[in-house]
Amino acid sequence: MKTKSLAMAGVLLITALLAGVLAGQKTSPLTPLPEPLAPGRDACTSILVGKDASTDGSVLTTHTSDCGTCDWTWRHVSAADHKPGSTRQMYHIDQYKTWPPSEGLRWDLIKKSDAGYAIPEVPHTYGYHHGMFGYMNENQVALGESSIGCQRRMHNPTPTAGLDISTLTLIAMERAKTAREAIQIMGSLAEKYGYGFYDDGEMLAVSDPNEAWIFEIMPVGPLWTPKSGKPGAVWAAQRVPDDEVSVCPNESRIGEIDLANKDFFMASPNVISLAVDMGFYDPKGGKPFNWKKAYSPQEGSAASTNGRIQRLWRFFDLAAPSRKFKPETPNMDFPFSVKPDRRLSLQDVMDMTRDRSYGTPFDPVQGIRGGPFKNPSYYRQTRLIDDGRAEYTTVTQCRASLPGPIGGIVWISFGSQDTACYMPFYAGATELPKSFAVGDHWVFSRDSARWAFDYADFHVQVAYSEAIQDVKAVQARYEGELIARIPEIDRQALELYKKKPAEAARFLTGFGLNNAKTVVDAWWKLGDDLLVKYNRLYLYDTQKRIYERGKPATPDWWKKAVRVFDILMEPDKK
Amino acid sequence: MNRYLRTVIFAGCFVLLSGAGGLGQTVPKAGLPVLTTSAGQSADVESLNAVMEEAGIKYDYCDVPTADLLASGVGLAGKQSAATGFHVEVHTDLDKFPAGTAYKTVIIAIGASLKGMGASGLTLENEEARLKKLIDFCKQKKILVMAVHLGGESKRGAPGSDNERMIDAVAPLSDYIVVTRDSNKDGRFTKISKSKNIPLTEIEYVLGLVDIVKQILL
Repeated sequence: MKTKSLAMAGVLLITALLAGVLAGQKTSPLTPLPEPLAPGRDACTSILVGKDASTDGSVLTTHTSDCGTCDWTWRHVSAADHKPGSTRQMYHIDQYKTWPPSEGLRWDLIKKSDAGYAIPEVPHTYGYHHGMFGYMNENQVALGESSIGCQRRMHNPTPTAGLDISTLTLIAMERAKTAREAIQIMGSLAEKYGYGFYDDGEMLAVSDPNEAWIFEIMPVGPLWTPKSGKPGAVWAAQRVPDDEVSVCPNESRIGEIDLANKDFFMASPNVISLAVDMGFYDPKGGKPFNWKKAYSPQEGSAASTNGRIQRLWRFFDLAAPSRKFKPETPNMDFPFSVKPDRRLSLQDVMDMTRDRSYGTPFDPVQGIRGGPFKNPSYYRQTRLIDDGRAEYTTVTQCRASLPGPIGGIVWISFGSQDTACYMPFYAGATELPKSFAVGDHWVFSRDSARWAFDYADFHVQVAYSEAIQDVKAVQARYEGELIARIPEIDRQALELYKKKPAEAARFLTGFGLNNAKTVVDAWWKLGDDLLVKYNRLYLYDTQKRIYERGKPATPDWWKKAVRVFDILMEPDKK
Repeated sequence: MNRYLRTVIFAGCFVLLSGAGGLGQTVPKAGLPVLTTSAGQSADVESLNAVMEEAGIKYDYCDVPTADLLASGVGLAGKQSAATGFHVEVHTDLDKFPAGTAYKTVIIAIGASLKGMGASGLTLENEEARLKKLIDFCKQKKILVMAVHLGGESKRGAPGSDNERMIDAVAPLSDYIVVTRDSNKDGRFTKISKSKNIPLTEIEYVLGLVDIVKQILL
């Protein structure tokens, strides 16, 4: 009893000391450590913005390709004509599989994973840019991705599943003129050839200059065979209203579906019957069919999981703060989409991909979590929109006011969004930088664009709260100023396009390549500059050639917190 | 086609379809209770579990059982799943086989997944060591080990690949092997079957495993 009382007194003392230490800091009530997320529930975030919800009429989608060990390389696939009777060979593409750079390029090595069949080729395939997935074709059909999972019994990792999500996105790029067409192409192929193998429940943000859709697809279980006569996949798609925005943070977003409303819903023929057959939905239960509740149910809220699944709430709170969405609301009860309080600009959306939930109950630097320099990477328990693990992040921009090759832009940022820079590549560009096609996580390479951004990011970690200001200054120059220049690039490209589209393509290709080289070089230099400036955790002024040993200053609250910890860890006196 | 030839073909097909193996070996009669598990933590074990459910066979499942956990028998000592890295499901009919009843059969779905092993905090070496102890225990206690490979050719990988190492860790030590035809395109399992005299059955689709588990377990 005496020991218990002493322990309690100790806890109270420490609490009081910490309260004193943190006095003056803006903090929210501390939340306990959440449980880790299951694989597949801790990956990418995809945002969608309808054309009347953006400031310039763009349809915008994003994809934070969050992994940490995956491939980050990009390439352009040229448009091509195909002879009648030709076929397209199919390959299985594992999102997580990488090869050492010494073995070759990923997109050549993928061909070792032959799926064992080919499908009839179309007469003409469109040019497009792709990374781990297809992102933007010359018709401004654009994609983003987020894994959403599905009921375990639906998984089909067997060879009867002839298609994975990556392959579906590449074929959509090759063949689609519109978002709706992309959905129909992917859905019908998956039904015929079976879907799954390396993937299970997946969401794609499918857009074009007029519409943004959430497309969700799932396997139908390992016992499916092509001879069954039944679809080898189940899928549904719902359109985001033009004046609204939506998000997918590894959670199914489609609820009740109204297939009579063809302007807003599409689905495979087995969309309800499969759920009934597998026991996920009882039509006699008196409730309408609900896609996500049947196929990909999830319990909990941002609050109940201590921030583990807070991205959904955070996005809605960012987009429409006037709606006062509550973190206690179960995620399954959030609306499909919301009208934002104000129209979102391209930069707003880029900033959303950099969000770290600062100032919320899930703030990663509240209290002492971020260390003396408020580093959001120290506390990895809460899953943020920007959690630093992105292989790359994309923002796709589709604009109805311009022809496809000029209207479509995929903005690519490598590594952690907060310390990187978005670089634009027009849909009509016919080449991506060579530095985008190489590199992996295990071999440092100055030839790889991605490493320039990791290099700068690494040096930001030392004194985050100070160094991030340096990064923001460089971002404003290479990203902010470039966004402002885009209307002029559009104008020049359009003039060329009217005379000769091929000239416009050359111009846009050159623009993308030159800008990317400038930015990548700037980030290598940024990394060097940060290394010098914060070397040994002093502050070196390279202009005046002086250094200050007292800076960057360790805040007083941190020094006090260290003292409190010392008291806590003091050995018992005998 | 003469009547004799038709009879031979029919008999051959029957032997294959009935799971009696194509190599003249006798398929062992296994028994309940049964535990399903994975070698390599790929999603293929989910296919195996779906087969068990389709066949109406009550089973226990653990993704990374140790020999000690296997020894605790039906119910797996009441262990609970963790958020990640350890998963347990107990479906065995406890009226027929009370908790603690020794398993008679272990079915291992072979398939390596770095993602799956990573989630379980395993390396290939850990996984091989765990499987060796598990199978040694089965041999000692005369628990039948059935190895299945359902992932097909693309998941097999090159010699020395993660998946191949999982095959080496399990298939040659098993009592019965069932593989999809696509998994055995290079005859790898046929060679193991012949050299170790282990009955082997090839199936076209995973669906074909439903009748096999019914035959050998019920």
